Amino acid sequence: MRTWSTPALAVICLSGAGMLGGTALLLGVLFLHNAPPNALSQQYREQLDGIVYPEFEQNWKLFAPNPLQQNVTVEARVQTIAEDGEVHIRDWVGLTARDAAAIRHNPAPSHVDQNMLRRAWDFYESTHPTEEGAPAPGQRGKLAEEYLKRIALQRFGRTAGGERILQIQFRSAAVAVPPPAWSTEQPAEPVAPQELPWWPVDEDDYRGLL
Amino acid sequence: MSETRTTAAASETAGTAETAAPADERAPAAAAVPPTRFERFFDAFTGTVFGRHQAAVVRIGFGLAWLGFLLREWPHRRVLYGDRSPWSAELSDGLLSATHAFTVLSWSDGRLWFETLYHLGIAAAVLMVLGWRTRATAVLFAVTVLSLQNRNVLVGDGGDNVVHLMAMYLVLVRSGLVWSLDARRRARRAAAAPAGEVRAVADALATMLHNCGMVIIAAQVVLIYSTAGWYKVQGSRWQDGTALHYPLHLDYFTPWPELSALLGSSLLITFVLSYGTVVLQVAFPFTLVNRRLKNVLLALMIAEHSAIAVVLGLPFFSLAMIAADLVFLPTGFLLRLGAVRLPAGWRRST
Repeated sequence: MRTWSTPALAVICLSGAGMLGGTALLLGVLFLHNAPPNALSQQYREQLDGIVYPEFEQNWKLFAPNPLQQNVTVEARVQTIAEDGEVHIRDWVGLTARDAAAIRHNPAPSHVDQNMLRRAWDFYESTHPTEEGAPAPGQRGKLAEEYLKRIALQRFGRTAGGERILQIQFRSAAVAVPPPAWSTEQPAEPVAPQELPWWPVDEDDYRGLL
Repeated sequence: MSETRTTAAASETAGTAETAAPADERAPAAAAVPPTRFERFFDAFTGTVFGRHQAAVVRIGFGLAWLGFLLREWPHRRVLYGDRSPWSAELSDGLLSATHAFTVLSWSDGRLWFETLYHLGIAAAVLMVLGWRTRATAVLFAVTVLSLQNRNVLVGDGGDNVVHLMAMYLVLVRSGLVWSLDARRRARRAAAAPAGEVRAVADALATMLHNCGMVIIAAQVVLIYSTAGWYKVQGSRWQDGTALHYPLHLDYFTPWPELSALLGSSLLITFVLSYGTVVLQVAFPFTLVNRRLKNVLLALMIAEHSAIAVVLGLPFFSLAMIAADLVFLPTGFLLRLGAVRLPAGWRRST
């Protein structure tokens, strides 16, 4: 095509080799990141993670291996204090139910309704394993707690029933989607909701929210 | 054809090298000797911008996806990524100090900085669609995508993930060679001055980078479908053919419960769509060796994503996936598309 001078050819060849090598390396790494854990990816785990995280992270197990088969609902209630010092516990508020209502008949649901609480709860659960002998929640666990609390406080506001909010409590239930009508499978037994401890609320928790 | 400025030949399909062999010290061939396989590869890799139309539609597709998303979330922008977010700057910094993800929003948590970046994102998306100063725009586009998403990674979904990756890959490719304001400007001053060697080397480097970028984009799409498909093969619900039933009954993904119920009411439809999805996703990478079959599957996948957009309430996820699929559109189809559109719109102004 073109007659290159030797320096030009050197630049092109070196850069080209670098680009081809880089491309092959990136694609190999991405393949191993997406593949199931295997001998190779475990051997070079640190190096692979060093390339993939943070910007090339990906998870394409879309509805796989199985789609989610339960509706996870998160509810919250608050404890308030009246001016005379009397403390009340308010009714449970279905935060997930509010999300669902906002999504209904909306052709383009907002991430605020579709992802925020849903993924915050996933984050909370992933950082707070319930199995016996699981380690205590670490730094990420603390972040997840504060995030969850602030999501709810943004939706509650500063007061409930005209009284200042003192504490907040969450509970969550997972309701299995019943099998299709034609299926002979039995619907799963309902599981008792999981209740979290009361968390204190102070002015700092509201920073920037309202 | 001793002059290989691909920009000058922007609207043509670039020819591969048949003329003089490059001065190559390994094979100092005489002019009459046909080029070796390596020489042909070398010339194609350094001199041919592969898939320029595909690059352009991917650019336009992701520009539209990000633009649509930013406009849709405009009323919620501060809650998602800004000063009103429950994921406060302190919480975000706590996570970023561990992940080291890139976001210019960590430079300042002031509202003005955030608003500037968000609106720069809108501007970058518009300019991506138009193809104005495409390379610089692609960099700005990627900066806004990474900055906003990494400010709060906890509100994203698969659609955001695709946009995130493709925004980075689009920096690599020459997506503005066709169907862009850049191309129009270049066509106006077609009689460009002959380029010196430095310019030609820069051009060859850009072309090589583009070609690598297109391979990465295509391979990324293949990885998405392969991963989605092969993990499904292992799932009991995909095996028993009822998988589709479950997402249709998740509160977060049923904006139209009547429609979802209708779709899921039939055993046959549920089975066919469940099995069809798995077959489609697993088969797609292998059909790339057969153009006709590949195009059929591509059309089916675009149709499926369009359905997902409505039924599951995921329009921006679907738009991003479709934009990624477009990298596999056949060039002939794109050229016909351009021929239909060009006389009506673009040419009038040139």
